Amino acid sequence: MEETFEITLFTLGVAALGTFLAFPFAIGLAWLLARRNWWGKSLIETLVALPLVIPPVATGLLLLLLLGRRSPVGSFVENTLGLEIIFTWRAVVLAAAIMSFPLLVRSARVAFEGVSPRLEQVARTLGASPGKVFATITLPLAARGLVAATLLAFARALGEFGATVMIAGYIPGKTATLSLSIYHLVQLGRDGEALGLLFWSIALAFGAVWLGEWFLKRRAS
Amino acid sequence: MNFHRIRPLFFGLWAVFATVLSGAELNVFAAASLSDALKVMSKDYEAKTGDKLLLNLAASNVLARQIKEGAPADLFFSADLAKMDDLEKAGLIAPDSRTTLLSNSLVIVVNREGGPAITAPADLAKASVGRIALAEPQTVPAGIYAKEYLQKAGLWKQVIDKVVPTESVRSCLLAVELGNVDAGIVYKTDALISKKVKVAYEIPAAEGPKISYPVAVVRESKSPEAARRFAAYLKTPEALALFSKYGFQAAPKPEAAPAAVPKR
Amino acid sequence: MNLRLQDIHLPLSEFTLKVDVLLKGRVTALFGASGSGKTTLLEIVAGLRRPASGRVQLSNSVLTDAGARLSVPVHRRDIGYVPQEGALFPHLSVRQNLLYGFTSKPERPAALSFAHVVEVLEIGTLADRRVATLSGGEKQRVAFGRALLAAPRLLLLDEPLAGLDLPLKERLLPYLGRIRDEFAIPMLYVTHAANEVMALCDEVLALDKGQVWFQGNPQEFFEPSQTVSYVVRAKS
Repeated sequence: MEETFEITLFTLGVAALGTFLAFPFAIGLAWLLARRNWWGKSLIETLVALPLVIPPVATGLLLLLLLGRRSPVGSFVENTLGLEIIFTWRAVVLAAAIMSFPLLVRSARVAFEGVSPRLEQVARTLGASPGKVFATITLPLAARGLVAATLLAFARALGEFGATVMIAGYIPGKTATLSLSIYHLVQLGRDGEALGLLFWSIALAFGAVWLGEWFLKRRAS
Repeated sequence: MNFHRIRPLFFGLWAVFATVLSGAELNVFAAASLSDALKVMSKDYEAKTGDKLLLNLAASNVLARQIKEGAPADLFFSADLAKMDDLEKAGLIAPDSRTTLLSNSLVIVVNREGGPAITAPADLAKASVGRIALAEPQTVPAGIYAKEYLQKAGLWKQVIDKVVPTESVRSCLLAVELGNVDAGIVYKTDALISKKVKVAYEIPAAEGPKISYPVAVVRESKSPEAARRFAAYLKTPEALALFSKYGFQAAPKPEAAPAAVPKR
Repeated sequence: MNLRLQDIHLPLSEFTLKVDVLLKGRVTALFGASGSGKTTLLEIVAGLRRPASGRVQLSNSVLTDAGARLSVPVHRRDIGYVPQEGALFPHLSVRQNLLYGFTSKPERPAALSFAHVVEVLEIGTLADRRVATLSGGEKQRVAFGRALLAAPRLLLLDEPLAGLDLPLKERLLPYLGRIRDEFAIPMLYVTHAANEVMALCDEVLALDKGQVWFQGNPQEFFEPSQTVSYVVRAKS
């Protein structure tokens, strides 16, 4: 299929953008969950885990109802910001970001919990502000785990289908990711042509996960 | 175990036995556009005959594929001839069981609450119309019909960039209902059941594609007599009246021009 | 030092920490069995924990006042802290560890220059090594150096020689003495080793189940009669 290259590139791009957008929120939340306690914390933990366990199409439906043109959020975005979401590449990125978010939070939290709080405390007694402690102690020590978490989330975003099909649909040239295209070809009865897409789908996911595992196992330099 | 718990259990068992002993269960694979009419019909049919209809409603291409892959269907009720021909060629239809009963017409629908004004098909090409939902024009009958019409009307090239393909004609309708597209092309029967869309333009039978809904008994059916019974029922005036209530028309006769059932 | 711990009160899992003392020693020993609240008290002084009620005042600065909901942030207290495990930053070199809290303050005593601290603790040759390659004793000396180079007003040490074998303890004790003598930084020194108390400290504060049962000088503390009668001494 001639478009295999474009579709693969598009998929990489939206997955990367989605992961990039989710990253700051996920890292921030992961740090809070690792280091702080507050009333309602378990509620937040459960809410964050939901996209992992609710069927992706259900999450997609929720997003459709929330972000459709006639909904409060959707109409605000469209009328005030002039941006269309549903049935555009933005919806693909959004689906990627939301579906990979819980995975990113979970893994990043584990990475932060692996940093001894004692080290952070000592750093503070040495005059480091909380920001400096995070930048010079917490982040570097959690870095390997965070990279692995990001790669895992990226792999998830690459393969996202259920929510994407709901809010972006399959529009050739506009929202066609690897998974949507494979599904479409199978629907047409042209599964043979989907093999090229299948190969890339597996190769990309394999690469991302393998790299992530490698990062986790690497000795600290 | 107290008696009050056992009672519902007994009733449940009794009901299951009653069903198994009394009537057959038919797996009816039917096009999505037939959803509402068939749901009502199946209740009446079961009350009348004791045979239960299990409806599998989806785009006809999806159903055809499922049957090809061995899904347990007893009847196939398709929204276009091509899917039925496909199965017939593959030898999956019981010979002599195929008839074409119904027809439909296409309409352009818009959301009731506003959006760009559309009064004629050419309006679809206007810049103010951003996105148009169609059932997937390569595979779903409703989309194939819509594309056929747009090509005939010389509009296809102008609207192709606006097309949002959907999985079935019902999801096409939903897209218009939710307001995420500016217009859609669906069957008239779909427009009639939706409260959130209005018909902007009805494609006249003479200009539109010939829409046919063939029905046939699947060869590998486990209840062929019951399947034939239902297929026969579909031809009765009672059944046809129900379909016409939902806006379906009688099938176009091959030799003559399509004759519409008098509308109520 | 001039460390006032006024009506400090903090319920812990097994007992309540209750301390009300004024510490004046150059090196004050905080003596007690494991779990008697010593580490918690250090954490309160460092600002890492807040008492339920009470005040912490070092010379003229009020660091914690639970009643007034005042707690100076940890990084502004200028109180050094060497935990039991030393806690060197594993991803930084020795030099980077040492310089972590080093700022060129105008009021920094000349004695606390990088060169001098490194010389006194004899860690100069370690400067470019990675933390993981150091021996236990070397790590502790680097930990002391790191805390000193931040020019603290008060140094808190939580059993710095625990977990080291006897020969090593004997080798490191003099370094602590040098810190006391060369740098004149007051220290609050948690231990349950009598020889360390005798060698380093001029004041002892003894805790048992969160309560102070002795405050005074080491000689009086180690009188045989003291270990028998648990008498709460009058504040000095």
